[in-house]
Amino acid sequence: MKLRLIAALAAVFLLAACTQAADTTTTVGGTPTTADGGVTTTADTGGTTAPAGETTTTGATEPGDGLLAEVQARGSVRCGINEAVPGFGFLEADGTRSGFDIDFCRAVAAAIFGDPEAVEFVPLTAQQRFTALQAGEIDVLIRNTTYTASRDGGEGATFLSTTFYDGQGMMVRADSGFTVMEDLANTAICVLSGTTTELNLATRFVDIPYEPLTFDENDVLQEAFVAGQCDGWTSDKSQLAGVRSAFPEGPDALVIMEETFSKEPLGPAVRDGDSQWAQIIDWVVNVTIIAEELGLESGNVDTFADTENLEIRRLLGLEIVSDEGTTIFDAGLGLEPGWPADVITAVGNYGEIFNRNVGPDTPLALERELNALWTEGGLIYAPPFR
Amino acid sequence: MTPARPPFWRNVKVLRAVIQIIALVGVGLVVYVLFFNVTNNLRARGIRTDFEFLDQPFGVRIAGSDLSPGAPVRAALINGVKNTLALTVVGLPLLTILGVLVGVGRLSANWLVSKVATVYVEILRNLPPLLLIVFAFQGVILRLPPARSPATPFGWFVISNLETHVPGFRAGAGYAAFISAVGLALAIGAFVWWWRTRVQQETGAPHHRWAWSLGLVAVVGVIAYLVIGRPVTITLPVLTGRVVDGGFRGLGAFFAVMGALVLYTSSHVAEIVRGSIQAVPKGQTEAASALALSGFQRLRFVVLPQALRVALPPMINQYLNYVKNTSLAIVVGFAEVTLIAFQAIGNGQPAPQVIITLMAAYLMFSLVISLIINVFNRRLRVVTR
Repeated sequence: MKLRLIAALAAVFLLAACTQAADTTTTVGGTPTTADGGVTTTADTGGTTAPAGETTTTGATEPGDGLLAEVQARGSVRCGINEAVPGFGFLEADGTRSGFDIDFCRAVAAAIFGDPEAVEFVPLTAQQRFTALQAGEIDVLIRNTTYTASRDGGEGATFLSTTFYDGQGMMVRADSGFTVMEDLANTAICVLSGTTTELNLATRFVDIPYEPLTFDENDVLQEAFVAGQCDGWTSDKSQLAGVRSAFPEGPDALVIMEETFSKEPLGPAVRDGDSQWAQIIDWVVNVTIIAEELGLESGNVDTFADTENLEIRRLLGLEIVSDEGTTIFDAGLGLEPGWPADVITAVGNYGEIFNRNVGPDTPLALERELNALWTEGGLIYAPPFR
Repeated sequence: MTPARPPFWRNVKVLRAVIQIIALVGVGLVVYVLFFNVTNNLRARGIRTDFEFLDQPFGVRIAGSDLSPGAPVRAALINGVKNTLALTVVGLPLLTILGVLVGVGRLSANWLVSKVATVYVEILRNLPPLLLIVFAFQGVILRLPPARSPATPFGWFVISNLETHVPGFRAGAGYAAFISAVGLALAIGAFVWWWRTRVQQETGAPHHRWAWSLGLVAVVGVIAYLVIGRPVTITLPVLTGRVVDGGFRGLGAFFAVMGALVLYTSSHVAEIVRGSIQAVPKGQTEAASALALSGFQRLRFVVLPQALRVALPPMINQYLNYVKNTSLAIVVGFAEVTLIAFQAIGNGQPAPQVIITLMAAYLMFSLVISLIINVFNRRLRVVTR
């Protein structure tokens, strides 16, 4: 689309127009920019007792020159999202946005501002997303994006904690009788362009003759699929489930084939070079997971004021009494202590986010499977909050 | 006495040169700063700035092509250029013919013809081409039978919304010899054309150029075909299961894009043609009538030759617009060069370099078309006798 050409050109010029100041932050490389805050309590002293000695300051946020300061000054987080995949990022008919990825955008806003609505959603196509991220049009990309080595390395992006473990599948019409990939020989297969899906398709079908039809919008792709231009539609299985749930002829007109032919870990990504910002996004995701482990939910998070559990007290920013005095745990991420409480109040824990958007009671009806907590045999695992 | 030379800072020649130099330095500085900033920022973000990506594997297959996923980005882009070229080569003649017909039709004395032409122009040129393409794709092409059950009218065609197969030909033994014979016939035909034109100019006898030249080519072609013995075979598309064998094929998306853009651009061409015809002085038509030329002869020998000369320069714009608008094919997934370029970006190739390559490709298209039309233009201008 011509628009896209313009957008990409604009991105080039934006890069050109970036000031030297922006340069200095991006060239920092390995050094974490949080080091200059000087407010960190030791998160690594071992044991469950709170760090001795100096008490933490409550106003932990000292404006630096990183993206956090910029976002705080702006008053909202710009979040690159999808608006065409039900369950992950979808623009409803009434103009509201909903989805798994959308909730994580809200969680980031809640962590920084205490307000889940302080988000500016920037809808992006698969092709635009990295250019938009590089050019600084968005602060964080949460758009069912697969974490791969070349994207991490070559796109100037840094991928963070995986929020959803997905795999690629193939959807066909139920009346086609196709059951295995080989049945699709000599047919056309619809795929979204600029995705890992497209690359995996080429790899999986290397010995099967097929015609790839690439579209850059899910809507047009769906039209082509409905009209029977292509016999197969390949994408991440979760996305296919979303499309199937909202299919005009009803979900039973389509089947998603058994085979999963790729690993698709989906997660947020930020621009290279600002490790403080990356850590914040990382820990927002981690906190939702820890909350599920600890049984904290959006409904009960304010009932823990008297809990003895130190991990919960740390998470919720409650006072911790020890021999040395009273402290409030501050992980030193540059956020107000107790920010996880805002996140959990706003969007709930990981399980709640999953069930609300894609879980068994939603039209997508996905099971947790790989996305169950590690304690229940899944891959969802977070480092300790201490 | 010669007047005293003015001091050099008031010398017009010196001032002109100085201003030019300052302007040059200014432009150079702006370009340098932009370039420096881009490369610096890209490097700071760890993004490469060289063009080695052209040799990287493209990674995916392309519709309507046999390119393997391992083929380099360069080959994929060239494939895209070929597809853009196909849209251009088929589209430009079609839109020219259609545009001239509609343009002449607008001036027709026949009420119905002129109103139909007016409606055609006013509707098509006032719609965005993107809308036309999406309509042609979703509203026309996708309404054809699905790929799983194509229609086979007369057994000559295989038509589905994915692709259309038409009868084609296949090269047999002696194909090269046959083609060279036809080529030779064409060359001789051109000479005969020139000779008949001269005969007419010198003696006034009717030239019958078409009959002479085409007749010659046809006779030579038939003789060569018989002598060499079936150098080409006509093939009909045959559908077995999902595979179609023989004939030529075109993707549905190709027809959607080409059709929509031909309709859109021809409406603009029609207006140019109408304006050019009206620019021919009325006295010319009257003089032609006085010579008892028929309506068709007036148009063919008096009005159109003068009108098309006026129309040619603005036609370049329409041709260039057509080529550039083919980039809209990306919405319906036809693999022209823009789609390939954005696919490459989406799959991790560096955006600035890919965009620069893309711009170079379109620039090349535009310059070639300008060049061809300008050569025509120059030839037409000197024909005045």
